[in-house]
Amino acid sequence: MTGEPYAVLLDAVGPASAAAVVPQPDRRPEPWESSMQATCECLSWRGTLDNLERRHAEDELGETTYRSVPAHAKSAVVTAHQLMDRGAFTPDELRARMDAIRARLRRA
Amino acid sequence: MTEHDHPHDPIQASEELSEFEVLERAVRELAIEKGLFSEEDHRRFSEWAESIGPSGGSRMVAKAWTDPEFKARLLADGTEASKEVGIDWLDPTGVGTPSDYTFFYVLENTPTVHNVIVCTLCSCYPRPVLGMSPDWYRTPNYRRRLVRWPREVLAEFGLHFGPDVEVRVHDSNQKSRFMVMPMRPDGTDGWTEEQLAAIVTRDTMIGVAVPQADWTASEPPTGPKVDA
Repeated sequence: MTGEPYAVLLDAVGPASAAAVVPQPDRRPEPWESSMQATCECLSWRGTLDNLERRHAEDELGETTYRSVPAHAKSAVVTAHQLMDRGAFTPDELRARMDAIRARLRRA
Repeated sequence: MTEHDHPHDPIQASEELSEFEVLERAVRELAIEKGLFSEEDHRRFSEWAESIGPSGGSRMVAKAWTDPEFKARLLADGTEASKEVGIDWLDPTGVGTPSDYTFFYVLENTPTVHNVIVCTLCSCYPRPVLGMSPDWYRTPNYRRRLVRWPREVLAEFGLHFGPDVEVRVHDSNQKSRFMVMPMRPDGTDGWTEEQLAAIVTRDTMIGVAVPQADWTASEPPTGPKVDA
């Protein structure tokens, strides 16, 4: 596992914010969070990324490289990081896909 | 399509699309394209995870009420003891949901201690044993107020404790999940584990209710009308 951040992920996270790491009692979970959990389950179930390994990576990277990521979003960022470490897809592929998704979902 | 008799706002393209949502979709789509899993895998897992109920937790409590040795194991190591009722917190094809893998603690209620759980940070919940959390558990109202005024919040659920009972609030987090083991109520002597499990409802394992011999939550409550 690399400790160096991926630029594509730092761009998604945005500027570091102290508010990201303190409890947010008024925040309501968003639907994408359940979907992200299911993705993690499928990756573990089908053998690409073991859940316990991911959890440990979330602890390690979440407290260092991606410290500014809010708790509820660490799974998304760390899973992406680990999949790129393993060569499942490249940072360029991820950036291009994120651009395409923004365009698709914001289409009027 | 049917005609409605009330107006709707048109569905708008989201203006609040978060970068994390974009990232989640991108990771999922790329993983599927690369053959790491399929759309059907994802849909099946989501459907299954959302259909888990609190029966696993109910079975554990009922077993603990009738088997002191299991109770000791459950209180000592909740994650390991869960396997004895078929819940493996690390096995996605079993009954657990392993994204919640963490340390699982079972909290025993006694005549002088009442436990209740919350997640002030977000909505952490022991899903492998209780299923999806109720809506109110995720509300800012519950999360913010329970840690400050637990007796006031519990009273809103109909639970009233005197000063001789200590109320302990347990705040879940990324690494720790909790579940309450309520006290076995009077009037249940000689019951089977199955009968006992039926009265260990979701709310009693969150800690906002206590089990009662006449309530299983499997049918609507009944009772006479109020003279008003």
